Amino acid sequence: MSAYIDQFPEEAKVIRSAFYASFFALALGAAFGLIQTLHRTDFVRIIPAEMYYTVLTAHGVLMVVTFTIFFLVAIFTWAVTTSLDRGVEDIRFTWSWYGLMTLGTAFAAIAILAGFTDRTEISADVLFTFYAPLQAHPMFYVGLVLFVIGTWLAGADWFRSWWAWKQENPDKRIPLPTFMVLTTMIMWYLATLGVATSIIAFLLPWSLGLIDTVNPTLTRTLFWFWGHPVVYFWLMPAYMMWYIMLPKFSGGRLFSDPLARVVFVLFLLLSTPVGIHHQYLDPGIAEGFKFIAMTNTMFLLLPSLLTAFTVVASMEHGARQRGGEGYFGWLGALPWRDPVFTGMALAGLMFAAGGFSGMINAGMNINYLVHNSLWVPGHFHLTVGTAVALTFMAVSYYFIPQVTGRRLASKQIALVQVVMWFVGMTFMSNAMHRGGLLGMPRRTAEPEYAGFQFETAIGTVGELNAQIALGGVLLTLSTLLFIVNMSITALNDRDDDLPSNTIPEPLSGPNEAPLVLDNLKLWTAIAVVLVIFAYSLPLASIVERGGLFGPGGDAFPMFLELADSFGFALVGETLSAMVSSLLETLRTVV
Amino acid sequence: MSSDADALERHIGHDEFDPVGTLALIGIYFLILLLMWLFMYFVEFLGNDLTVVGMI
Repeated sequence: MSAYIDQFPEEAKVIRSAFYASFFALALGAAFGLIQTLHRTDFVRIIPAEMYYTVLTAHGVLMVVTFTIFFLVAIFTWAVTTSLDRGVEDIRFTWSWYGLMTLGTAFAAIAILAGFTDRTEISADVLFTFYAPLQAHPMFYVGLVLFVIGTWLAGADWFRSWWAWKQENPDKRIPLPTFMVLTTMIMWYLATLGVATSIIAFLLPWSLGLIDTVNPTLTRTLFWFWGHPVVYFWLMPAYMMWYIMLPKFSGGRLFSDPLARVVFVLFLLLSTPVGIHHQYLDPGIAEGFKFIAMTNTMFLLLPSLLTAFTVVASMEHGARQRGGEGYFGWLGALPWRDPVFTGMALAGLMFAAGGFSGMINAGMNINYLVHNSLWVPGHFHLTVGTAVALTFMAVSYYFIPQVTGRRLASKQIALVQVVMWFVGMTFMSNAMHRGGLLGMPRRTAEPEYAGFQFETAIGTVGELNAQIALGGVLLTLSTLLFIVNMSITALNDRDDDLPSNTIPEPLSGPNEAPLVLDNLKLWTAIAVVLVIFAYSLPLASIVERGGLFGPGGDAFPMFLELADSFGFALVGETLSAMVSSLLETLRTVV
Repeated sequence: MSSDADALERHIGHDEFDPVGTLALIGIYFLILLLMWLFMYFVEFLGNDLTVVGMI
């Protein structure tokens, strides 16, 4: 057996390009994160308060769209090619979706970053959620559309590989890593219909001045139609790493292949019909619809709890094979000096804490306590910000040598880096949760409120702010160590002793999984039906109440004059000139 | 950097493996979840001043 780059040299080039794009976004996103955390806590303010929202948008979009999704297309390509043991069908097609995603990112990023300068009218200070009436320059929406189309084509690439493989292996079970990729992508196709409709039918025409108004409740709901499943689009690749790589690095084997399949099927079914739980406090959606979303959300805890069991059991298997004993003593036998293992294990531990705050968010009544408070960023910095991001950074220490053929620059620095992330996030996230309980708002540049004091039962606001700032600084340092380590690795000497690119067999293999689990058409159909149940009535009621294009109101800021740059106004002027000259001619003739 | 198969002291098959350590850890986690939820609901949620829920 050999390293990935020796098995699939052409695919390795695309994969490392995707990794590099994701690391670039991570570095930039981290810099904005630092500015933000120090500004909010009033330790260092280098930007005016209104620029905070440009920073916040850049941090959000670069981290949770660019970093995560570029990373996951890289590991999905790795997973499909490795587990099917075949290259992609047409490498030019693979490069084309990578190119489209890069182009889309460039469009969206330029629109956001242009917000820092007054030399151009272009800006996109709309935050990750781009809620109307906040309006971005059309370039932002066009960028998002191109990016999403790129991911659709990437999915098509992996489906194509699977179909070609199936022709040659008609009786075999879908290998688990490919199964995980395919179920995740079906979920993604279904979910992106919401955001695609929101942008293409409403927000983009609105920013171009083709329509005057949009219905904010409708575009928000369509956003969350996609906005919740996107969290599983980040998380399922991390789960894939926990199921496939964590047992490998623990020295054990995956406890159960069938259980892993059940988990991914449950995510396909339940990720989408829950988005309304982000809108518990939105007016314009009836309580009953919110209750349905809450019920689905509570069911969605199940696959994560199944994962906790399977993944911990797989680690325990590894620990016991390494000589671990007792109820807790086995934990000491795990390879804690290996940054790949330790990073993923700490990410999993943080996710357990995130599971708790997620349960609080999910309850319709108790959500009122924390809604729109600093608790919420505290929560998602545990989930996407650690469970996903730390897992991705940890496995990079395995993947980058695999796809470049180079020696990892420093394993010791890698270990320090993953631990530093964990410690930094413990400070920052814990203080954010507590701040949220005091009523500190999220998405606010300078939450001091002169003449008002947040009441604390334990500690002080100053102590919370210090913890948030300290955590933010540690996280930035950790990112810096990661980027430097990865950059030196990419330029390092060739490593001729790379471990072979293999995935250990599960303890309970695919043949013990019921055949129906591999019936992707059935699960897709059920997922569609659940979405129809959860969304058709709420959407119909929103449109009935506010109309497709809403009751009116102005956008903020106005971009209508910018339609000039896209030629629409020019076309309009030319048309009106032609019509008037035609009328003039007619008048003369008459 | 990979787990070296040589470092393993023994091989444990499907039938010999009894994940009692996992049961212990998950049990503790559930207990923490339960206690924290009780705290959040009864102390933080019901114990605080009126919210939108209480005023309507």
